[in-house]
Amino acid sequence: MGVVLEVQELKKKYGSLEALRGVSFKVEEGEIFGLIGPNGAGKTTTLRIIATLLTPTDGRVTFMGYDLKKNPEKFREHISYLPEEAGAYRNMKGIDYLNFMARFYARDEAQVKEYVERAERICGLGERLKDKVGTYSKGMTRKLLLARALMTKPALAILDEPTSGLDVINSLEVREMIKGFTKEGVSVLLSSHNMLEVEFLSDRVALIDRGQILDSETPQGLKDKYQASNLEIVFRSAVR
Amino acid sequence: MKNFTHLLLKEIKELLNKQLIFSLLFILIIFNFIFNFIGNVTKSEIKKAMSKQKVAVLDLDHSPVSRNLIGALNAANFIIEEKSGDKSKVVDEIRHSSLDLLVVIPEGFGEKATRFQPVEVETYSFLRGVSLAGRSKSEVVKMLLNSTNEYLSNQFLKSKIPDLDPKLLKAPIKNKEYVVVKDKQAEGSSAAVIGAMTAQNFILPVILMMIIMYSAQMVITAIAMEKQNKTLETLLTVPISRTSIVMAKMLAAALVGLISAVIYILGFRKAFIFSEADIGQALSGLAPIMKQLGLTINTQGYILFGISLFLTILCALALATILGVLAEDYRTAQSLSFPLIFLVMIPYFISLFADINSMSLPAKLLVLAIPFSHPFFAMTNIMFGDLNMVYVGIVYNFLFVVVLLSWTTRIFSTDRVLTMKLKWGKKKMVL
Repeated sequence: MGVVLEVQELKKKYGSLEALRGVSFKVEEGEIFGLIGPNGAGKTTTLRIIATLLTPTDGRVTFMGYDLKKNPEKFREHISYLPEEAGAYRNMKGIDYLNFMARFYARDEAQVKEYVERAERICGLGERLKDKVGTYSKGMTRKLLLARALMTKPALAILDEPTSGLDVINSLEVREMIKGFTKEGVSVLLSSHNMLEVEFLSDRVALIDRGQILDSETPQGLKDKYQASNLEIVFRSAVR
Repeated sequence: MKNFTHLLLKEIKELLNKQLIFSLLFILIIFNFIFNFIGNVTKSEIKKAMSKQKVAVLDLDHSPVSRNLIGALNAANFIIEEKSGDKSKVVDEIRHSSLDLLVVIPEGFGEKATRFQPVEVETYSFLRGVSLAGRSKSEVVKMLLNSTNEYLSNQFLKSKIPDLDPKLLKAPIKNKEYVVVKDKQAEGSSAAVIGAMTAQNFILPVILMMIIMYSAQMVITAIAMEKQNKTLETLLTVPISRTSIVMAKMLAAALVGLISAVIYILGFRKAFIFSEADIGQALSGLAPIMKQLGLTINTQGYILFGISLFLTILCALALATILGVLAEDYRTAQSLSFPLIFLVMIPYFISLFADINSMSLPAKLLVLAIPFSHPFFAMTNIMFGDLNMVYVGIVYNFLFVVVLLSWTTRIFSTDRVLTMKLKWGKKKMVL
């Protein structure tokens, strides 16, 4: 498997505050790479930089051979970003929202249809897609947005806290969706402060705290290394 | 281009939502109805005020002079209803009738008038309301006294100098008015020319103000709603250039703002019904004079005005886009649009009630520093041939637009689109 994304010594400052202090990691093709850490660790800032929303103060990000600083538009063509607190246009019907987003990526109408049909399968909202997004519950909106992020089969899906605010059932369904999709060649970079979720989903994990990567390995590898039963204990040990 | 059109259509659909369509239709129907009603009532009041006035006359003199005076009033467009009897009883009778005016010709009126001694008539106005017709009562009394004085003085002059026309004697000098505009002159009244120009341009500032305000508000709202609905971040990561995002939002806002302004003007048009009639009347008679004075607008003038207006709308949209980035939700967007509304109101009121050229230099510069000011004064400047001021305005607004648009695009291409907040304290950051 080749490397899809490479992050090298990524730094980000907001005024005098150092949000990222040299973050480095690689995401390989078809894998789910999880960033775990507490609130304020720098997960969202890292994902936002890769998603071309923020410009790094220093460091390098390359994606499929393209440099972020030189070719942000190439990033946008091949990535899909699901922000933690994302929403959809409330006055649009779910199906219209999917159509609207699909048109940015599709070459022609046939591809728009292909993307939307895939999104319909992913979200499983059925007839409710004909209703306006404003009438959806939080779980339904999240499923719609996740379907939007995955429908184009992006080379890299960046998912920030994908199950944020969802109940147990919806969280399980969303996790299954993400897990199933990597079989189709999509690489996933996700962040969560829910370490058990990341342990379940991720092929490899990076522990991030105060803008720095503490360690990076497979979940099992980390558990073995820190002689812990789960990633929460691993994280506690790594922070010490 | 495909993605730009796609986004533009979405922006138009988002802005032109059911609520806006409903409110615009409501304004169109209700305002038309209300102003139609008000217009009809006002028209009927004016018609009443302009029609022949019915006047009650109590002749206590019964002399040939008083009879002639009543005849003269009749000839001077008054409908005379003669009364007889005691004065107080007549006053009381009229108090309970629909008559509004009573003229009492006192005893001895004829004798004094024949001897050219000061005479007086008594007029009683019966007020029954404050309508336009009611307010015209004092004018009617004035007209009545003028007619009386005219009659008496004419009689006097005729008896003393029978061979001379009394009118010629009273006004031997006739005035022939000319209006001069730069190197052109025409015979006519300056007051009439100014009146015609004012009437012609009356609605223009209203249209300008509405287009600028609506477009600006639309774009602030569009960006604020993206933030409120948390859709901005997703939109910024789709494969479309940031410039296209900014342009699509601005163009959609301009189009919807234009539609809204046109509908508002159509809704309010009944309010201007008398102005429209006046404009038509004033212009039809003055058209040759205006043409002779060069106070007409040719194709070049319209093109210059169009450019000035277009650049001003771009300025408003670019400023509104920056303010929209500062907004966090719909509510703060509304508050942030106030500075723009205030800036539009300044040239609007000045164009309606003052002449910018008669203002002091610092005040004039201050007003012209507002980019929205230029189209408000462009039309008058074009009519007077002061094209330099129009060109300066266009260049100023063009530079303003270039700076603002590059600034706006830059904001959208950097972190600022997400991190810029209107905070006086410590900067807000998201990790």
